[in-house]
Amino acid sequence: MTDNPLEAYSESLRQQLEEQDPVVLVGVIVALAVVVITCVFLKYFLTSKTVRSAVLLVGLCDSGKTLLFIRLLSGKFKRTQTSITDSSAPYKAKNDRNCTWTLIDLPGHDSLRSQYLEKFKSAAKAIVFVVDSAIFQKEVRDVAEFLYMLLTDPVVYRIAPTLLVVCNKQDVAMAKSAKLIQQQLEKELNTLRVTRSAALSAQDGSVGGSLYLGKKGKDFEFSQLPMKVEFLECSARGSKGKDGDGDIESLEKSLAKL
Amino acid sequence: MLDFFTIFSKGGIVLWCFQGAGVSESFTGPVNALIRSVILQERGGNNSFTHEALSLKYKLDNEFELIFVVGFQKILTLTYVDKFIDDVQLHFRDRYKNELVQKGALKLLNNTFDFEDRFKKLLREAEETSKARSPAPMRSFKESEKSQKTVKSMIETKGGDKSKEQAGKKNKNTKKEGKQSGCLYFICILFIMMIFTTHSKSPKPQKPKEKANRVWDNAGSSTKNLDYSSKNGEASPGEDQKNLEAQFDPVSSPWSEPSESGGFGGMFGMLKGLVGSKSLSREDMEPVLEKMRDHLIAKNVAADISSQLCESVAKKLEGKVMGTFTTVASTVKQALQDSLVQILQPKRRVDILRDVMEAQSQRRPFVVTFCGVNGVGKSTNLAKISYWLIENGFSVLIAACDTFRAGAVEQLRTHQRRLNSLHPPEKHGGRPVVQLYEKGYGKDAAGIAMEAIAYARNQAFDVVLVDTAGRMQDNAPLMTALAKLIAVNMPDLVLFVGEALVGNEAVDQLVKFNQALADHSMSDKPRLIDGIVLTKFDTIDDKVGAAISMTYITGQPIVFVGTGQTYNDLRSLNARAVVGALMKA
Repeated sequence: MTDNPLEAYSESLRQQLEEQDPVVLVGVIVALAVVVITCVFLKYFLTSKTVRSAVLLVGLCDSGKTLLFIRLLSGKFKRTQTSITDSSAPYKAKNDRNCTWTLIDLPGHDSLRSQYLEKFKSAAKAIVFVVDSAIFQKEVRDVAEFLYMLLTDPVVYRIAPTLLVVCNKQDVAMAKSAKLIQQQLEKELNTLRVTRSAALSAQDGSVGGSLYLGKKGKDFEFSQLPMKVEFLECSARGSKGKDGDGDIESLEKSLAKL
Repeated sequence: MLDFFTIFSKGGIVLWCFQGAGVSESFTGPVNALIRSVILQERGGNNSFTHEALSLKYKLDNEFELIFVVGFQKILTLTYVDKFIDDVQLHFRDRYKNELVQKGALKLLNNTFDFEDRFKKLLREAEETSKARSPAPMRSFKESEKSQKTVKSMIETKGGDKSKEQAGKKNKNTKKEGKQSGCLYFICILFIMMIFTTHSKSPKPQKPKEKANRVWDNAGSSTKNLDYSSKNGEASPGEDQKNLEAQFDPVSSPWSEPSESGGFGGMFGMLKGLVGSKSLSREDMEPVLEKMRDHLIAKNVAADISSQLCESVAKKLEGKVMGTFTTVASTVKQALQDSLVQILQPKRRVDILRDVMEAQSQRRPFVVTFCGVNGVGKSTNLAKISYWLIENGFSVLIAACDTFRAGAVEQLRTHQRRLNSLHPPEKHGGRPVVQLYEKGYGKDAAGIAMEAIAYARNQAFDVVLVDTAGRMQDNAPLMTALAKLIAVNMPDLVLFVGEALVGNEAVDQLVKFNQALADHSMSDKPRLIDGIVLTKFDTIDDKVGAAISMTYITGQPIVFVGTGQTYNDLRSLNARAVVGALMKA
């Protein structure tokens, strides 16, 4: 019984189609084809990868990011204040390929850093994490917390940009060396893994940072991360203060190798 | 007389600076303090700030993303500073418009802004105008009019014999003028005469001014116009409409203009508002800000905090150039959302477990004190926090410093028993994970706290949680007692427990608690409230404004959020979710 209505329906449909003007039929087919092609194009454009060409300068407040930014771009010395917005400029890397990155200086203040990081993290090719080597001992927990937040961010984990940890302010006598800073940070991040995973969940149920850094069971080391990590020493102010050049060769070399 | 003047971009690069003669200290510190406490904490309502001996005034230029800061000694009162900043801003913008307009830091870096001469000229002009307005010197008696008048002209002829008497007296006295006593007598008589003439001046010949009928501007001349009984049906709506339109005309004139020029012009006007670079002005933002202020108040944010927030957002957006296809409302909403998220983000690291570990390594207990008004949930949340700490392997000592409320000690003992049954001592090395230190009722709370901390140090407890009695912020003796407890015991963390249902009271509570702690502490760096516990969060759905009020007033982060009565109902704050709930219509 069910066959008959279906057959009758298909018969009537065929009759109707034959009765129609062929021009209208062609028009309908062309419209359908255009829709299909548009869908394909949209899909292609939407899933195209965003070009990642930004180098982000992040770090705690007063670590020297803005001065480093100025030195990298122009080599001059300018006084700086606490930044409250980001600054960006194109930077020509000193290598044969002559690639241009966008150097972005993000504010380091606690209340602003997560907002700006959200904005720029997906376009990051490399992250330059600036550490104040002179007062590192007092700030080690804050530095480690920021680094932990950065490393366990899902977007950053997925993109795995190169991480250059720059130990700034080496011109000060009490500055710690890059090796010491690396060891201290590894120890601190080791402890943070435990405390952060035991942290309370947020009031709307979301649990932040569920990634586990490094390998379980072993002490944390920077070599366990999926991204390339390098520790550098530099001094944005330079040994001669405002008249001389900054001592940033190692940073420039690493940026050239990107 | 100015100590310094700087112009720097919002990205932190100093474009130009001026340091007054004889000033050797760098101004970077005070300006950074200004940025951190005023601009970043959204207290941009008033534009002055004091830091140690300096007083700083600032102005934001939102079109070119610049900040102008001037600093001078606090003891000087310079009246020309406000106008001076405005003048400097206008001149700087006009001169360097081309360099500043381009986005991107390269232009800023490569240019040296040579503003010295212009600045000195403006400064000189400003100082001169302030000097010119100094009060004029008083006229001497010889220059005044009174010395021109004769005594006779000042005497009223009403009391004729009186004047004759005085004239006679005066005649007598003129003979004695040479003598000193005579001179004195003459002056006395003159004084008496002046008093008489002032008295006699009152019944003047001219008619006194009668009371005139006051005429109001919009009122008619007679009361007949107020009789609407005849015009009940048809004419009154028309008249009302006309009156309303007359009232609303000044407000609606910018909007009514495009509509009057025809529908075509109206559409173009709207489109022009959407596309193209238009800079925001106060008048554009005012209606949107009003609505946002009411919206925030409806969401339980304290009233004056809402207005301060809106004021600060207006300052941040004034003069900013809007992008294409953005309306005023969307720009203001976005800016308000950003500032709310900024307020709720903690300004320091909040990681209690890490700090407890640090104290553990230093072999001392980590002391947390809970304070707040009555009935907010201190004891309940104290139990929740101890449960969380025990779950992470720390041992807790609860100090029952609430010696006033009946049943407070028993309540804590019940919690202790339950927690110990959940984590039996056998599993944790044979010793109970939670212990209660109590000395009954009626004793001094500060003493009990001190003994509890000493006991914890001896018995190697990791954390000491001190429960205090609830007290109203107006109760001075109790506030003194709390301040003494905190000042004497120096806890590592002072947590203020506030409920999420509180409205404008939150401001009063926090201000008075902080003030009491600051006033009664002996040291010059008093221990203030370090963190906030927001309780009863499950009783509000999206009226989450109390979180904003509390963090705005103290500047301290919300460390815990209590969402129920069981041990698991302890959360941390997610700033974005709270702001999303706050801005939801």
